[in-house]
Amino acid sequence: MVKTIFEDIKNSIKGIEINEVSYAERGYHLAVEATKGNLLNIIGLLDKKRFYIADMCCVDYVEYLEIVYLFNNHSSLCRIKVSLKVDPERPVAPTISHIYTMAHWYEREIYEFFGVYFEGHDKLIYLFLHDGIDFYPLRKQRVPVSAEDMKLLNSFKPREEEDTFFVNLGPQHPSTHGVLRVVIKMDGEYVVSAEPVLGYLHRMHEKMAENRTYQQFLPNPARMDYPGALLFNLAHVAAVEKLCGIEVPERAQYIRTITCELNRVASHLLWIGAFLADLGGLTPFLYAFDDRENILDILEAVTGSRLTYCYFRFGGLYNDVDDNFVSETKKFVKRMRERFIMYEKLITKNVIFINRVKGIGTIKQDMVPKYGFSGPTIRSTGIPFDMRTHEPYAAYDKIDFEIPTGTVGDNMDRYTVRLSEMAICLDIIEKAIAKLPSGPINADKVPKKLKPPKGDIYHAVESTRGETGVYIVSDESDKPYRMRWRVPSFSNLMTFPALAKGSLLADAIATMGSFDLVIPEIDR
Amino acid sequence: MGKGGFHLETKDPIIKFAVLDKILNLAKANSLWPMTFGLACCAIEMMSTAMARFDIDRFGAGIFRATPRQSDLMIVSGTVTKKMAPILVTLYEQMPGPKWVIAMGNCAISGGPFAFEGQYNLVEGVDLLVPVDVYVPGCPPRPEGLLEGLMKLEEKITGSRRFPTPEQKW
Repeated sequence: MVKTIFEDIKNSIKGIEINEVSYAERGYHLAVEATKGNLLNIIGLLDKKRFYIADMCCVDYVEYLEIVYLFNNHSSLCRIKVSLKVDPERPVAPTISHIYTMAHWYEREIYEFFGVYFEGHDKLIYLFLHDGIDFYPLRKQRVPVSAEDMKLLNSFKPREEEDTFFVNLGPQHPSTHGVLRVVIKMDGEYVVSAEPVLGYLHRMHEKMAENRTYQQFLPNPARMDYPGALLFNLAHVAAVEKLCGIEVPERAQYIRTITCELNRVASHLLWIGAFLADLGGLTPFLYAFDDRENILDILEAVTGSRLTYCYFRFGGLYNDVDDNFVSETKKFVKRMRERFIMYEKLITKNVIFINRVKGIGTIKQDMVPKYGFSGPTIRSTGIPFDMRTHEPYAAYDKIDFEIPTGTVGDNMDRYTVRLSEMAICLDIIEKAIAKLPSGPINADKVPKKLKPPKGDIYHAVESTRGETGVYIVSDESDKPYRMRWRVPSFSNLMTFPALAKGSLLADAIATMGSFDLVIPEIDR
Repeated sequence: MGKGGFHLETKDPIIKFAVLDKILNLAKANSLWPMTFGLACCAIEMMSTAMARFDIDRFGAGIFRATPRQSDLMIVSGTVTKKMAPILVTLYEQMPGPKWVIAMGNCAISGGPFAFEGQYNLVEGVDLLVPVDVYVPGCPPRPEGLLEGLMKLEEKITGSRRFPTPEQKW
C-alpha cells in the first residue's frame, strides 16, 4: 500500500517533494511537502484513493507557519503527512473543504487560532473562541486580530426567514451532554439546518501543553475525556514513549490493556444511560450507573481516583495491581455477563426504543472518507475500522478479539455495536488476565526530565469514541513545542448537521445522543 | 470569597414571623430542586450522586429540573469559560428566588488546574459572576463531598444541621 501510493504520487505530480520516513519513529509512513500550487492535486489524488482525513492542524515555527494534513486509509494502515508552509505575515492557503467536508471545521479552527486565511472557504467564522479575543492564541508571538478579520469572525448571527424559526438547543440542555450549543433552523417540526456552536468549554489544553513539561501535562488528558480518562492518558503517554524510544515492560502493557478495557465498559455504560435518558427512558440510567460504580470501585483501588485517572506514567504505571484487583475484575466480568441479558430485555427488545432509533440517522457510505469519523460511528456502517487492530498498541496484538460491526449505520446499529463491544471488552479482559505476566511494571532509566529528540510524531489509540491521536512537535526542550489533539467526537459531530437535515427534531436529538459526544473533548 | 468577589447585601425584613419563617425555611431546605446544569467532569460525579448508590433523593434534592424557572439550586459543576459566563448569569437570573448556588469542584471555585499565566478563556471562580453559598473542593469532588455540601447548604438555610457531624477518627 505504502509503496504503490508513493509511486502514484511521485508519478502523477511533477516536481513533488515526497519522502518515506521511519514509521516506528514518526508514526506516519510518507511525508509530502506541498506547495500552494500542487496542494489541491495531492489532496484530490488522495481523495480518489479513498483516504480519509485523520487530522489537520497548524504549527507556528515563527519563520513560517506549517499546516499539517494527516491522512490514513480505512482498509490498510498508511499514514501520510502533507505539509504546507505559509508566510506568517500574510498566511493564506487554498481551502480543501470542497474535497473533504471535515476540513471545513479544521480550517475554521486554524483560522481563529493562527489567523491562516483559507481562500475559497465559504464560512470562516469563530468556532471555539468568544468575541472578546483580539489575538491569535496559539501563535508564538502576539499577533493582533485586524479589525477586518474581527468583523468576519463575528459574522454568525441567526436571522429569521419566512415560515422558519430558530431553536436554540443548549448550551444548557440535558440532551447535549454538557455545553454544546446547536442552532437549529426549523420548519414546523422538521429540521432545515443545524449549526453547532462550540467552545463553551474551551479550556486551552493545547496552549497549556506548551507551557508545561511532559510530566506536568499528565493529569490534563483525563480532563479532556472524563468518561474514558485512561484511554486519553494512554494516548499521551504512548505518544511520548514512542517519541523518546522508551520500551514498556510487558506486564505494564497487559495492565494497561485491562484497565483501559474496564474504562471502556464504564464509558459505554454511561452512554447507554444518557442515550436512553435522551429518548425519555430514565430507568436504564439507574441500572447502568449501578454497574458503572462496580468498575469505579475496582479502578479506584489501583489508580487512586474515581473519575479523572492519571494512572499511566512514561515507561510504565503508577503502581502495580494486586490479587484483589484480579479477583474483583473476574467477579465483575461474571456479573456483567448476566446483566447483558437484563439490558437485552429492558432496552434492545423494547418496541418503543426500536421505533425511536431504527432507520434514523443513517450514515451513507460516501460520507465515510469525507468526514473521517471513527469509533463505533464508523463501525456501525459496516467497516471494521478499529485502532486496536489497525495500528495495535499496548498488548492488543497479543490478544485475539473480533470487531463488531453494524450494517446500515443508523442509530440502532450504533447502539448494538456499543453493546456487543462491551461484551468483547469483557472477553479481552478475561484473556489478558489469563495471560498476565509477572515482572517489573516500570521501564529502567526513564529520565526525570524528558527531553525527546527533535522531530514530530503522530500516535493514535482507540478511545471509547474513536481515533484519538496526539501530534507532538518537539524542539529538544522538556516542553512540547506544539501538542495537537485529534479528538474523535469533533469529526463525529461534524456528521450531525448532515444527518439532522430534514429529520424531526425528536429524531435529531436521538441522532445526537447516539454519537456519545463529550464536549470537553471537542472543545479541548 | 475570592478576590473581587460578588457581594450580595440582604437586609432583614421589617416584619418578622419567626415561627412561620422557621417552618418555611425547613420546607425550603428539605426540598431543594437543583438545575440540570452539567458543565464538565464534575457533572458526571453530580450524576453519580443522583443515581442508585449515593441517592441524593434521600435528602429531598433529587428532582433535577432541566429549566432554571423550576429550580432553586444551581450546582456549578465544572469550568466556566468566558464564552459560557454570560449564559451562566442569564440562567441564574432566570431562577426564581430564594435561590442558592453550590460551586462544585476546583474549576468553579478558582479556575483550578486551568488557571495559568497567560490563559485567555477562563473565569477564575464562579463567585466573580454570581454569589456562591457553598464551595465543594475536589477535582472532581466525590459524591460524598457533594452531599456534604448539600448538608452545609441546609445548615445555612435552617440554621441547624440535619445530622450530627461524624467524629474525626484520625
